[in-house]
Amino acid sequence: MKNQSEEKKYMPEISQKEIDELRNAIKATSQKIIAENIERMKKTDKNRPEAMQYFDEIANFFGTREKEIRAAKENGKKVIGYMCLFAPTELILAADAIPVRVNSGWYDASKLGDRVVPVEVCPMVRSTIGAKMIGLSPYLELSDALISVLTCDGMTKLGEILSDYTPVWTMTLPRVKDTTQSLRLWSEEIKAVKGQIEALTGNKIKQKQLKSAIELTQKATKAFRRLQELRKGAPVIMGRDAMLVNQTYMWDDIKRWTEKTEALCDELEKRVRQKIWACPPDTPRVMVTGTPMIWPDNWKVPTLIEEANPQGVLVADELCSSERLLYDPVGVDEWSMKDMLNAIGERYLMASTCSCFTSEDGNEDRINWLLNKIKEWNIQGVIYYVVRGCMLYAMEYTRVKKVLDRMNVPVYYLDTEYTREDVGQMKTRVEAFLEMLTARIDI
Amino acid sequence: MITAGIDLGTQSVKAVILKDGEVISRGKSFSGFDPTKAAEQAVDEALKKAKLSLSDVDHVTATGSGMDMAPHSNSTISMMGADAKAGVYLFPKARTIIDVGAEEARAVKCDDKGIMVDFVVNERCAAGAGAFIEAMARALEVTIEEMGPLSLKAERASSINATCVIFGESDVVTLIHRQETKPEIARAIFDAMADRVSSMVYRLGVNPDVVLVGGVAKDVGFVASLKRKLGVDVLIPEYPEYAGALGAALVAVNRVKKA
Repeated sequence: MKNQSEEKKYMPEISQKEIDELRNAIKATSQKIIAENIERMKKTDKNRPEAMQYFDEIANFFGTREKEIRAAKENGKKVIGYMCLFAPTELILAADAIPVRVNSGWYDASKLGDRVVPVEVCPMVRSTIGAKMIGLSPYLELSDALISVLTCDGMTKLGEILSDYTPVWTMTLPRVKDTTQSLRLWSEEIKAVKGQIEALTGNKIKQKQLKSAIELTQKATKAFRRLQELRKGAPVIMGRDAMLVNQTYMWDDIKRWTEKTEALCDELEKRVRQKIWACPPDTPRVMVTGTPMIWPDNWKVPTLIEEANPQGVLVADELCSSERLLYDPVGVDEWSMKDMLNAIGERYLMASTCSCFTSEDGNEDRINWLLNKIKEWNIQGVIYYVVRGCMLYAMEYTRVKKVLDRMNVPVYYLDTEYTREDVGQMKTRVEAFLEMLTARIDI
Repeated sequence: MITAGIDLGTQSVKAVILKDGEVISRGKSFSGFDPTKAAEQAVDEALKKAKLSLSDVDHVTATGSGMDMAPHSNSTISMMGADAKAGVYLFPKARTIIDVGAEEARAVKCDDKGIMVDFVVNERCAAGAGAFIEAMARALEVTIEEMGPLSLKAERASSINATCVIFGESDVVTLIHRQETKPEIARAIFDAMADRVSSMVYRLGVNPDVVLVGGVAKDVGFVASLKRKLGVDVLIPEYPEYAGALGAALVAVNRVKKA
């Protein structure tokens, strides 16, 4: 761990007094927003599933889960944070460490990030910098090391900036997925990060531990998929609720999360049999794709969609902060160390639909994901969500729109910032879009 | 059947009264600080012209950025939905409706029934909208009405890079320092606006007929630039600034029929 007084590469000098004041103020706002978001979710679905209560609790950043991780750390466990989904969490679990995703969704923290990087930079990156500057995010603070996967430009530099405080391990991600040299590079990166995890934790990752970590995650994937499957039919759960369940996986205890998600699915299945719906079954079915949306502040778009007049319901997404988290299992043929590591490498690289990849066919994996969702989940319209500065998703819009236009699926490009002030303008657009979806039926 | 449409815009409120689907009167007022009161004024004016009272109206539909503040309204319709309705009513072959107002520009793609199928909005910047002309007229020390005719006198094209009103203004100052003529600068300003609006339209696809509505459609300078940039004819109705209110009033007709 670096000495605070040591000269920093990026972070400005800031007095402890200012840090404390800013943290306390933003933390107070954040607690209010967490409570408010949950209240609004309860209001939208008055008969919200009882099993959601657990996830509401885990959604509190400054609550039970923080205390749990803190206690585990006191008992010698290590915490390993990551920003991008490519970090192989099975290896972290196999070394008896705790994986947590640390991307920031705090709007107010992004303003602090402006002290370090220009406003043109992606607000999620700026906000994560701001959060670190004042020690706002419990999970970022508890991280003993961070895995920084070099995906987009913002993420590449974010790791470098955060290394002013915390050891950062980079993983070089090939931008082309399926060449032999890409696969070779990526499998070397997996091995290297395994070595770093082992060195930090002092635990050698052995066959038995890795097998059980993979099996644990596979079970989580099964529960996760079960929840998404339930969203194929008439809306039995609001999109925000499902999104919150998906997202709590990023910092919850995986075994418990799996049990609670299965319990939620049991409850939902019962409701399907009783035909109890979260909103009218003819509510326009919407999917979102693009930049990740991070709890608690950046809940703006799903809230707008599900509280709009006319109302929409989010039944699927293609976001690395929600459905892409766990959708793809690690597929192992032989439980040898070599095969398991290969399977992990492949799952993280090949299954990803991130816009950081390029290929001659124009990120076909992402297009296929979208088309499959549209067909199977009966999507009526797609909101293409981008925060300013998110260059890769912004650029890929043209590609996605071309394909969806051909299929006669309406898609709307909704761009925003980490701010609450543009909600009025965004509401106008989202409502016009939903009105358009209903108008296709009748005006 | 009497219906009314109210368009609560950022700068002005417009009202249109229809009798059996035909326009019988219009009213307008400045939005100011109390949009609800402004809307009442616009509706009163239109009712007075039509010799009607509010109780004669079967259904009022509101639109525009302030539609939630509309008085007497029975329902609402998005600005894009209203544009599409009005565009196809005014020009049955219209499939692309461009609306350039004071603070916002948008383009709507619609079908033969006037139902929108796609739309784009000028993203959070007034450089493609009427407020830009206002700011630039100030820089050139002419009135906003003089800008259009002035630009038509330009003998050659120069250019500014209008990504925002503020930067646009400093670009104009650069041209002034280069001693470009006022007509040329005025044309450069409209070209820059038309660039922004047309690139937005290109994202939707230029499907004829193309109709231009909104207050800025009355500006001959902007219209000339937009036609050049799009390379197609652009149709303009007699009362372009009332298109939103007209669309809302037409939607009100359908809503009465459905009820």
